[in-house]
Amino acid sequence: MNALDYCIPTRPDITHYWLIKAFQVKRAWTRAFPDKWMHPSALLAQNLALDTVTSALEDPENSVFTSIFMPNEIFHSLGLKPLIAEAVADFIAGAHAELGFTIYAEDQGVPQTYCSFHKVLLGATMAEVFGVSPLIANCSVACDANNITFRMLANRFGVEHVYIDVPGEYDEEGCFYVAEQLREMAEAAQDIYHRPLDEKVLKEKVARSQRTLDNLTRSLRLRVGRYIKNNMGLEMQHGLCFHTLLGEPECERLSRLMIRDYLNAEPFDGVNVVWSSTTPFFCIPLQRLLDVNTDQQLIASDMCFDQVSFTGWNHTADEPYLAMAERLIRDSYNGPGIRRVDRMAEICERAQADGAVCFCHWGCKETMGVSQLMVRELESAGYPTIVIDGDGCDRGNFPGGQAATRLGAFLEMLHAKKDARDAEAFEQELEEALEGVADEMGTGDVR
Amino acid sequence: MSADVGAEAAWPPKSPQSGQGEPIVWYPCKYAPVELLAGFGAECRPVDFEADTFEDADRLAHPNLCGFGKSLIAFALKPEVRALVLTSCCDVMRRVYDVLSAEGCLDFLWIVDLPHLTGPRERLRMRRELERLAKGWRAYSGREFDVGRAIASFAPPLERQDERVTLLGAHGPASLYELTEAAISLPVENLTCTGGRRIAAPPVHLAQDARNKACPEHCETDLPESPEPLEAFIDWYADALLDQTPCMRMADIGGREGQVGAPGQRGVVYHTMKFCDYYGFEYLTTHGDAPVPMLKVETDGTRQSVGQLRTRLEAFDETLVGMNSARNVPKGDGPVYVMGVDSGSTSTDAVIVDGEGNVVASQILPTGAKATRSARMVMDMVMKKAGLAADDLTLTVATGYGRDSIPDADTQITEITCHARGARVLAPDVRTIIDIGGQDSKVIKLDEDGAVENFVMNDKCAAGTGRFLEMMANTMEMDLDRFCTEGLKWKHEVKISSMCTVFAESEVVSLVADDTPVPDIIHGLDRSVGIKVSSLSKRVKGEPPYLMTGGVAKNAGVVAAIEEVFEEPIQTSDESQLCGALGAALLGLESLG
Repeated sequence: MNALDYCIPTRPDITHYWLIKAFQVKRAWTRAFPDKWMHPSALLAQNLALDTVTSALEDPENSVFTSIFMPNEIFHSLGLKPLIAEAVADFIAGAHAELGFTIYAEDQGVPQTYCSFHKVLLGATMAEVFGVSPLIANCSVACDANNITFRMLANRFGVEHVYIDVPGEYDEEGCFYVAEQLREMAEAAQDIYHRPLDEKVLKEKVARSQRTLDNLTRSLRLRVGRYIKNNMGLEMQHGLCFHTLLGEPECERLSRLMIRDYLNAEPFDGVNVVWSSTTPFFCIPLQRLLDVNTDQQLIASDMCFDQVSFTGWNHTADEPYLAMAERLIRDSYNGPGIRRVDRMAEICERAQADGAVCFCHWGCKETMGVSQLMVRELESAGYPTIVIDGDGCDRGNFPGGQAATRLGAFLEMLHAKKDARDAEAFEQELEEALEGVADEMGTGDVR
Repeated sequence: MSADVGAEAAWPPKSPQSGQGEPIVWYPCKYAPVELLAGFGAECRPVDFEADTFEDADRLAHPNLCGFGKSLIAFALKPEVRALVLTSCCDVMRRVYDVLSAEGCLDFLWIVDLPHLTGPRERLRMRRELERLAKGWRAYSGREFDVGRAIASFAPPLERQDERVTLLGAHGPASLYELTEAAISLPVENLTCTGGRRIAAPPVHLAQDARNKACPEHCETDLPESPEPLEAFIDWYADALLDQTPCMRMADIGGREGQVGAPGQRGVVYHTMKFCDYYGFEYLTTHGDAPVPMLKVETDGTRQSVGQLRTRLEAFDETLVGMNSARNVPKGDGPVYVMGVDSGSTSTDAVIVDGEGNVVASQILPTGAKATRSARMVMDMVMKKAGLAADDLTLTVATGYGRDSIPDADTQITEITCHARGARVLAPDVRTIIDIGGQDSKVIKLDEDGAVENFVMNDKCAAGTGRFLEMMANTMEMDLDRFCTEGLKWKHEVKISSMCTVFAESEVVSLVADDTPVPDIIHGLDRSVGIKVSSLSKRVKGEPPYLMTGGVAKNAGVVAAIEEVFEEPIQTSDESQLCGALGAALLGLESLG
């Protein structure tokens, strides 16, 4: 427990003050003293992520409390700031302050086995360290915790709550069903915040969203053989940007910068790993293995690629509500687990990954339940996969030492496989070269 | 790899194999459209299977899913189970579907995508889902829908008004229901998420329409044309399914408000299950101002915690209807001696009181491997100390985990009630008892008269118990006596952030490797116990004065750490380990006629 934790039950205002100060200082620091090793796109992602959460917390009256999977173009079109629940919890963990909120939430009766992102968030809001916005809006994607946390906070604080029910399977009827709900949510937001929605602006944002996601898709193949200088924190910040700010010009710029950066990136001859689910960015033993490492890198995660379409869009920005609905229903975190497995396989194939990690975040039954299916299917597609149990938000629940041993051994195995493949390729190349020489010289076998 | 395997993944399902007949359709959820399937002649039954082992579920999915989901996987893998209809009611059920779909172990596997809302749009979606299922089942079974069969399958949706206790919350396995029925003196109704299936009775016009459709020549010709029976049934039935008392996964749960405090209800046993998110939150928001007493029990969906559960349920029954079993024992003419025996996981304790309630003799023995033998020994020893023979005892009252194993006990009372009574002797003004034993920790809140007002116990996990401290002492290769005092010499605060015994051990190993001073580590562990107990205390709204009982009350380091966390003095007593046995003896004495 630290000093801030002690203040949670009695002086939430003090905890609030220092947490906001910490976020503001971090934001100012990264702007003033950017890390020199980072790609420009990574610097932009870091600044955008820090700013989007901090500025929404600074201005709760003009924010909308929402979940990471909700389409945010409607809120941005109204000049509102989406305050992403999972991001608030992540920032609290980044400030090493999650333990006090976890204990506070459990003291209030929140189940110990609840997702720790939601537990930390509930601790922070139930203790009134952070308030909520005039509107709480969430959807059924991706998990049960969404159905509980937001409803509970809306009841507790007596604010408006909009819930978007998303069917598991995509069909046009389902798409209209979700689009209608999104349209009603837009109407509710206009009423609550007393400002009109310009549908032309909304269409522009939705068009930008699709372009951004298409750029992101393009970036996958560009990562092959390149050192993308990634780390687990950056991966989460990218994921945050591509959800919270999707449709915004800075977000599209980020996707374009990524393409440029990867085109110009140094060559990389190490092992590439694709990650499924959140990354435990605070876990030092795992960071030592994967963060900005020239031998092995985290090349992509499905938290950044859940919304993209590898097959194009049925609805364009001319039908903005349908386009957002389509994206939401087709999200790889929605619907059957095999959809998520297939998405991982596609990412692995496009990024030419050497292996995959399925990270089972504490309380995330969606990921846990599909983990063995993911192992089975990805391995049959040629991508060795490891399941690692841990916690993406509560460091007290994830010491990481044992997980690092397992991941370390897995990476060693991937290196060995890669070396074997490279040696085989070299032999093949040599064979072909020698055959070529023999043909040229007409001397038969020269080996 | 499948391109997009979803609700249609089992499609087309295999037809019933020749000679095997139509299979029983199993279902776990109250929203499962069983009356629709009954209309096709299917026999539908709820799944109440409890797996002995979760080996298959752990192999195919993950250990950290709820026990019901894991039992369901084990159940569906049985060769005799051939048809299963799920709903997308929660994360685990969706993943159960994914796993079973990939296994291909069932002839007919279906998932109904259940909306979270119940407005007109959602009702339309529900109709589409039912039509899809009807089409699927017809193709699989080759049977046609008969509205008469469907209507005949409805059970009357009767609400009980009699005096009863309600089992509420997450899916209640059969063993929990049986245990509750056995422990509670009143009738028990099961309204857990899978138990409260009450669908409105179908309207008469459904049958009439079907008859008109079937025999138009016998009916009045000026009637409007009747819709297809299946279509008409689904139109009505989709609404009926969605209009049930909502489960917690529905967005609008206003319809659940009357579940606690319903007419005739005397108490609620509220069940939560590990890794089921929904129901812990309902308990959280309802128990504070509940009009009837509520007891929260948490299980992992197995029968493994039966002993501890029984204690809680019987203690709850004692608060609801009193301790009937101990009453009406005649006092007799001679001197009165009552013995209380507390069979705990670590020690077995016995106390003999005389007719005035004065302690005549007491004895403590380690329980060891045989609870019955320890009880026999401690009883013999305490009688010897008191100079009494078995025939001199007016009454023997058993308490503690092993109370069933105590030979010749006249009656049994749970340790919750016994501790409350014993505490009134050890510290007459006490309002909250913190009892930390070898196997469990509990906090008992007393009212002004010293009666149990509320209580809470840790779950199966060892965190915050004497066993936890013993394991940590072993990890640090230290004897327990030294471990109990060494923490008092701490200089710098060390944070043991994990409440989990396994993780905490890992943290301790890391701290030892970093050369952290031993007293600081032990103090960190003591504080982690204090935080765990504080969390329990808050759940029952504990208030001072506090009394600590149980074996861990002798651990000065833990007592000091709890005082730090509570910021209140914690009373202990040299006799605190005897609290349960003393309470049992006194309650026995007070029960004599």
